[in-house]
Amino acid sequence: MSADRETYDMTAQTDIALLLADAADGVEIGTAPVQAVLRAGRRRRARRWAVASATALVVAGTTGALAVTGLPGGGPAVRQANEAKPPASAEARHVYDPQRTELAWGMYKGKEWHVAVQVWGAPRDEGEAARQLDAMGELGLRPADAHRAADLVGKTSYFATRAWGENRPQQVMFSTVDKFESYSGKDMEAAATRLGYGGESSGRLVVGMVAKTARQVTCHWKDGTTAVAEPAEGYSAHDTGSAIRVVDGFQGANWFTCVAPEGTSYASAEVTKPDGAAYASVVVTK
Amino acid sequence: MGDGKQVRNEEFQSFMIGRWPRLMRTAFLLTGEQHAAEDLVQSTLERVYVSWRKVGAADDPEAYVRRVMINLHARKHRKRLKEFLAPKDDSGLVHEVPEAGDRIAQADDRGALLKALAQLPVRQREAVVLRYWEDLTETQAAEAMGCSVGTVKSNAAKGIAKLRAIPALAETVTYGGRK
Repeated sequence: MSADRETYDMTAQTDIALLLADAADGVEIGTAPVQAVLRAGRRRRARRWAVASATALVVAGTTGALAVTGLPGGGPAVRQANEAKPPASAEARHVYDPQRTELAWGMYKGKEWHVAVQVWGAPRDEGEAARQLDAMGELGLRPADAHRAADLVGKTSYFATRAWGENRPQQVMFSTVDKFESYSGKDMEAAATRLGYGGESSGRLVVGMVAKTARQVTCHWKDGTTAVAEPAEGYSAHDTGSAIRVVDGFQGANWFTCVAPEGTSYASAEVTKPDGAAYASVVVTK
Repeated sequence: MGDGKQVRNEEFQSFMIGRWPRLMRTAFLLTGEQHAAEDLVQSTLERVYVSWRKVGAADDPEAYVRRVMINLHARKHRKRLKEFLAPKDDSGLVHEVPEAGDRIAQADDRGALLKALAQLPVRQREAVVLRYWEDLTETQAAEAMGCSVGTVKSNAAKGIAKLRAIPALAETVTYGGRK
């Protein structure tokens, strides 16, 4: 195409260009989160290096679990994942029936909402994987990057789901991994979602993962207020919906939730107390 | 060596601060939603930072950034699709796009355009945004989308045609657009 023709085309669509420019102005620009990007970029860079050592761990894991001792003084959210040996049967490894941990619950518009994490054990062969995929399908779950049952062999799948009222739970964060990534310091991965299914609760629920040593997560809302999530065990009627919890079967990180009050929504989240008691999770492979 | 690293960090920071508003606007048009736009720009810049030594020294770092953003957008779109397909009873509810019949959206040009954009297939949306918002040439858009100039042309043309066919938008365009 000639330059003239391109110029003509651009001119002909000037009205669309104006509409686009106006719509683009509708976004809130905010401050560039330079430090968050640098931190995440460094972590991403480090992850490249971790590939080689992960292979070594898998090899060590096949002869039995790596024994790592937790140190005392941890409190509830540093409860040890005490898995000395991978159990033999598929049922005991939770291949067909996942381990489920409820992270938070509350009421929204007269109906109950829930956030839970389920961890599905790694199938050892295609037969186990096919049954697992069927079981996931019955629950309406679709694992990440697994198109065939064979893609699940040797991999653990996890799903953070949210549900509201009688509706079927929805996948919020999910992955299928060879090995859990180990979080440290202020590492965090989080997603902002809704309490209900209408746009008005958009960004009121934050779900994410932090290091096992993290003792406090602060979620900042757009109206300037904050919510603080701290290690919790058990559930009570006084729960605010904001907590850090150990998830059964999930290694390398704990999970947290924060709930924003009505009328505001997610702005940012950070680990504000990163250094809890020293703790090392057990690394169990396959 | 340590100094070199610090200089590169500073270069990246000033690049990021300078480009943030423009990238946010582009991401907003691509995703149609504030949080998704922030996520897209942050993820893009994380990747750019990892390769900054190479990117910062390149003649046109902007082109690289656009390419990363478009790739991520396309990938995320595929990933989110899985998310939507899983819960059959409420698929699409994660889309933070005004629903049909929403009076506020109908009254709002921005809402009408974002909604119309969201209805376009992802490649058409990308072509329209890159050509008519980013004001790229077809060659530059093709480079960003990793496809041929012909593909950009056809995607942009189809996208524009669909936008013009949407009643709420056609009305806005007919009346000269901006208030």
